[in-house]
Amino acid sequence: MKNYDELSVMEIDVLREIGSIGTGNAAGALSKLLGRTVKITLPEVRIMGYNEAIDWIGGPEPITTGILVRISGQINGLMLDVQPLDFVNLILECMLGETINDYQEMTELQSSALMEIGNIMISTFINALSDLAGISVELTVPSLVIDMQGAILAVPMAEFGGQTDYLMTIGGNFSCDNREVSCRLLLSPDIRSLNFLLGKLGVD
Amino acid sequence: MINTGISTGKKTVIGIADMKLAQHGETLITYALGSCIGICFFDPKIKLAALVHIMLPLNMEAGRKNPMKYADTGIRETLKAMEARGALRARITAKAAGGAKMFETAGGDSLGNIGQRNIESVHMILKMERIRLIAEDLGGSVARTLLFDSVTGEATIRSYGRPDTII
Repeated sequence: MKNYDELSVMEIDVLREIGSIGTGNAAGALSKLLGRTVKITLPEVRIMGYNEAIDWIGGPEPITTGILVRISGQINGLMLDVQPLDFVNLILECMLGETINDYQEMTELQSSALMEIGNIMISTFINALSDLAGISVELTVPSLVIDMQGAILAVPMAEFGGQTDYLMTIGGNFSCDNREVSCRLLLSPDIRSLNFLLGKLGVD
Repeated sequence: MINTGISTGKKTVIGIADMKLAQHGETLITYALGSCIGICFFDPKIKLAALVHIMLPLNMEAGRKNPMKYADTGIRETLKAMEARGALRARITAKAAGGAKMFETAGGDSLGNIGQRNIESVHMILKMERIRLIAEDLGGSVARTLLFDSVTGEATIRSYGRPDTII
């Protein structure tokens, strides 16, 4: 069984392809919902130490929206949709014709709109992945939190912390009408699932 | 250099699964504790402070490469490091913050329990090591940044959407 930091270049390429297809499908779904052109910019696979991951997301304390779904079945893991304020405002403007200056202004209706968007993006990503690998998975009801991004990113770290000192994320960034938005879709499978997935895709 | 009893305003950052000591008036700081717990230790006689940022309750790793990741090995290693600098167990007090449940998930799966399990483990290990826990801000559902003043032994907790608290 390979840990996250033991993957070969070829295995990482396969995971990046999953990220590309998953994120691409999520962008398509978002595009339809918003009536705007949404594309993916760069799909990426990252294997990072804890504190490196916090730096990568942009520091521990900025407040952001996180939507979390748990994956179970043939693969187990977590999927996070991290939506910073610029992305939140893009969604709110397209769906409700309004924007906010601060998360503290957010209404119940606005946060359920964001959760629904996150849920659709995550489900679309996972559907593409399960079609590609020929596996079946179940997703939990999404959960939304607005808080420090370091604590949100620490959720998948703690979940698999007993198995590894690394956080692995497969995902990508989006652009809307050619403007890059900082929404991130991050899949973190557990180690057994990662190996199973690579086997299903023919690269173990 | 010995502690002059004046805060230098210098900040020492403690990462995830990390620990640092301070004896020269620095402020120890660890950011965005979610389900993780930050434990501050203080020996008031020699003004030695320590802050450890743990992520999980118990160390069951074979190699134990990363002791500060876990409450049990993290607390014990921190106490050892303090004793090596002249601290005495009988004088050391502790304060703790964190252990939140960041996401409400359906079905009460293990995900939601990591914070609670961390709290229980920290309480248990401190008791076993005979360290007095004199203040805590644990549980709930908010992230916490923890600042520990190595001069006064005061811990400040910064959260989103609520005023700072000092414990």
